[in-house]
Amino acid sequence: MPCERKPMRYGHSEGHTDVCFDDAGKYIVTCGSDGDVRIWESLDDDDPKSINVGEKVYSLALKNGKLVTAASNNTVQIHTFPEGDPDGILTRFTTNATHITYNRSGSRVAAGSSDFMVKVVEMYDSSQQKTLRGHTAPILSVTFDPKDEFLASASCDGSVAVWKIEEQTQVTSWPLLQKSNDVINAKSLCRLAWQPKASFFHLHLLSPSFSIPCSFHQAINVVAWSPCGKFLAAGSIGGLLTVWDVESKLCVERQKHEKGYTVCGLAWHPSGGQIAYTDTEGCLGVLDGLSSSSSSSSTTTPASYDDLFDDDDDRPMDEGISEGARSPAKNPGDEDDDDDLIPATGRARNRSSLKQGLDKFVDDDDAGSAIVPPAAVAAPLRPVYDGPMPTPPQKAFQPGSTPAHLMHRFMMWNSVGIVRGYNDDQDNAIDVEFHDTAVHHAMHLTNSLGHTVADLSQEAVLLACPGTDELASKLQCLHFSSWDTNKEWMVDLPKGEDVQALCLGQGWAAAATSALILRLFSIGGVQRELFSLPGPVVCIAGHGEQLLVVYHRGTGFDGEQALGVQLLQFGQKRRQVIHGEPLPLSRKSHLSWLGFTAEGTPCFIDSEGVVRLLNRSLGNMWTPVCNTRDNCKGKSDHYWMVGVHENPQQLRCIPCKGSRYPPTLPRPAVAVLPFKLPLCQTTTEKGQMEEQYWRSVLLHNHYGFLSSSGYEIDEEGQSQAQKEQQELLMKMFALSCKLEREFRSVELAELMTQNVVTLAIRYASRSHRMALAQRLSDLALEKANQLQGEEPQEEEEEEPLQYTRRNTGSGLGRSGSAGGQNRVTNVLDSMMSSSKKPTALLSSSGSTGKLNKTPFLKPLAPRPKTKVQHNSVYVRHKSGFQLWLEDNRRIILADNPDLEETDVIKEAIGRFRTLSADDRLVRHLTHLVRLEAA
Amino acid sequence: MDPSEVEFLAEKEVVKIIPNFSLDKIYLIGGDLGPFNPGLPVDVPVWLALNLKQRQKCRIVPPEWMDVEKLEEIRELERKEDTFTPVPSPYYMELTKLLLNHASDNIPKADEIRTLVKDIWDTRIAKLRLSADSFISQQEAHAKLDNLTLMEINTTRSFLLDTLNCMYKLRSNLQPGSSGGKAQDHQ
Repeated sequence: MPCERKPMRYGHSEGHTDVCFDDAGKYIVTCGSDGDVRIWESLDDDDPKSINVGEKVYSLALKNGKLVTAASNNTVQIHTFPEGDPDGILTRFTTNATHITYNRSGSRVAAGSSDFMVKVVEMYDSSQQKTLRGHTAPILSVTFDPKDEFLASASCDGSVAVWKIEEQTQVTSWPLLQKSNDVINAKSLCRLAWQPKASFFHLHLLSPSFSIPCSFHQAINVVAWSPCGKFLAAGSIGGLLTVWDVESKLCVERQKHEKGYTVCGLAWHPSGGQIAYTDTEGCLGVLDGLSSSSSSSSTTTPASYDDLFDDDDDRPMDEGISEGARSPAKNPGDEDDDDDLIPATGRARNRSSLKQGLDKFVDDDDAGSAIVPPAAVAAPLRPVYDGPMPTPPQKAFQPGSTPAHLMHRFMMWNSVGIVRGYNDDQDNAIDVEFHDTAVHHAMHLTNSLGHTVADLSQEAVLLACPGTDELASKLQCLHFSSWDTNKEWMVDLPKGEDVQALCLGQGWAAAATSALILRLFSIGGVQRELFSLPGPVVCIAGHGEQLLVVYHRGTGFDGEQALGVQLLQFGQKRRQVIHGEPLPLSRKSHLSWLGFTAEGTPCFIDSEGVVRLLNRSLGNMWTPVCNTRDNCKGKSDHYWMVGVHENPQQLRCIPCKGSRYPPTLPRPAVAVLPFKLPLCQTTTEKGQMEEQYWRSVLLHNHYGFLSSSGYEIDEEGQSQAQKEQQELLMKMFALSCKLEREFRSVELAELMTQNVVTLAIRYASRSHRMALAQRLSDLALEKANQLQGEEPQEEEEEEPLQYTRRNTGSGLGRSGSAGGQNRVTNVLDSMMSSSKKPTALLSSSGSTGKLNKTPFLKPLAPRPKTKVQHNSVYVRHKSGFQLWLEDNRRIILADNPDLEETDVIKEAIGRFRTLSADDRLVRHLTHLVRLEAA
Repeated sequence: MDPSEVEFLAEKEVVKIIPNFSLDKIYLIGGDLGPFNPGLPVDVPVWLALNLKQRQKCRIVPPEWMDVEKLEEIRELERKEDTFTPVPSPYYMELTKLLLNHASDNIPKADEIRTLVKDIWDTRIAKLRLSADSFISQQEAHAKLDNLTLMEINTTRSFLLDTLNCMYKLRSNLQPGSSGGKAQDHQ
């Protein structure tokens, strides 16, 4: 049943509203908290007639030209319709009435009030009243049965009761609803509705009891039967409007309120072709075009049932039962109870059972439930498909942007600057602002193309807009760091292809499109490679020469997302580092930020606030490094990430009180969170040190990566980090010694470098742990052997790049003091390799040249030529030992002139070892003393 | 003490700024400042914050108490209590004046804040005058005033002391027999 949802219009000031049609369906009548009743000829009626009936109107009912309203002066008044003249007071309560309704013929009015009473009043003789007492809380809703014999009421005490009107007695009551203390606090208005007509197989005016399995996030607020009794419409707290075909139990129509406000009034047009609804913000809306199937039934069914009803005016009695959010666990029990009660009451009841679930998949649900035969009334209601539910895939987004529907939003906030988008009545503009004004001055652009996604780097601003019917999707780049005068370029995408995500790297830009293509551009606008993505893109991020792509691998179930990740590296060595492996998110979460740390390590955050960092030393696994939610005070507070730095260890984010993202005004302030690996027992000293150690190891991984991909690194920082790690190891070693954990001490010693092991030996022997010292010295020997063994291999196996890490000016100095240690070889070897290496991989752009600190990627400087160059040809590919041997062979031969070549080497190895060991001891003596004092 | 001297002392208070430039740690006699990262809040003394602000090198993050709601609360409390209530900062008046004069564009609802702080100040000064008045009229020998800020003491100190001196002289002249008065006079 395709229907048209007309745009909503303002009806009343915000607050509770109600709506109904007049008998002929000519007018829509609404009431609201402004105390007016408005009579609309149609939704487009710009001058509706207003009748003021009080300060506030809580409910209204209209029949036979009499408009009954429940006003805040505790009365139920009558007005003539459509004139709107006061026609007396029908009844009074001690507080205001909450809901009023006519019976079928219009001869009686039932009113429920906040003073716990329900009154049934004869329309033409208001002295004839019947009072129904028994509820213990304000009444939410009342309804007559079609035969006028019974009345059902719902109350804030959580019960739904059926009363025999004549006897003023309660027939039955079901505890179905959630209790509350007042109507305004009730989860749902719990409007009830009696099916207007009996159905085919219960001719004794017993309608079948049936339930409609509907899955709602929110409680249903109001329900209404179509005049023909064949359809049931419901409006929910979250603004979802649904129409079911009752017989087939199929959902025939589903509409979402345009702003998601609570629907609090719902009425069918007498012809059944239209539904008017109002929301708690006072707006009125209409669903039109329901007629195609409902009108046909409304013409046929009344005809066949005319004999059953004396008065057939096709008006639905308002509203059906809706139940406040009940827990799914409670459902089966309730259903059984209800089903048992049906024969006893013999009354038509309908019930919408609520189930927590995902509204997107209700259609599946309904389809499944349609298999249940309508006759099988008592059968417990279960959707046929009971397995895991697919999760709606998360939409593509730009990391560091706030949602696109906001009028003022951040289109990008990253470590370079902020791009803000304004889209209100007078202005459609984009502001670009740089954190560091040295990069570029702030820019203000008019957003005539309607750009929705943006990225910002030290070199350029990249913007893109989705395509429209006439215009293709466009990619615009403001390349402000260009040295020529043309600072801007634009590219049109092929028809039907929209940019969904984009990012900037160093010297390149990338855009992922709806056609599952990732397009690369140079920063100057040259089209480069393009390749297909394995799934719809979620977001992409760029840094230096790296590109990180996250896409949907498939369908996730039960709230999980199935995301895949690819990490590509351009530049000199083009390769895919991560080949579409699954992205590990927390349970039932989605991706909320993706990017690189300033040092170039991929990093992402899920909606649960867990930050994960790529651990390159652990086979490109993701390690959780922080849970930002741990730092939140409130439950609904979040941190909105803007940048991650490994050195210093900082998570830069914006604290958002009670939301997931910050508003543009007032200007949010950045806060810094620390990293914290979720290791066990971090309250103990041991746990703390372990956490510190592994955090340090993890967050200094980037040195290895940076140097291997040819960037200059902060040598000082690296040696600082190594020193810190070794110190931590030594502390842990001392701690476990203190705790008599010698085995653990040896384990820790295995992580130490050889130098520190010597220190550990000292410590052990000082504290009289000879067994430990013995084991450690074995270990030290082993380590020394390993080093020796590795050396010859290193030269063939290791990549030449490996050397650059050690290849420093200071390394050379140290090698001199360390005597025959392996340093010498490395320096010389790396000189060989450095001559093979490209001297500068990256050309520094204008902006990076200006800055002395911000860009963390510095091009590799040409290696300084050292004086040792002259003998480099000779000693090429020789280990430290070999070098030492060259120098000392003569001495050894002099000492033992009759040795064979192999014996000479054996002897030399022995000497070399003692020599280096001594050296080590001397070098670390001072260090050792200091640590032992501590 | 000159009010400008009190203001000078207030300038040593620490305030958060968001710099728009990049600079390593700077080492000053009063302590190390920085490092300055563009876009990242950093604590600096007010004098530096204002200097940078005037050169358009930073945005100032107003102190936490410089917030309409919090100040309203303080104002109500100040009006309700007979004694002096604790103030959010020992230099609240000076800081408000300095920050609002130089960085009102970085402080939301600057005008309201100015009015509120002025209200608080006026209430407190009125209390101070009142207590000085009762101090003198009742001829008390000593009084105790808690939670007064330096600036507040400063406004009344010289005047009050001089007045007391004067009054003492007048009084001792009225009672020529009193030996203590004479002894004082000779000093």
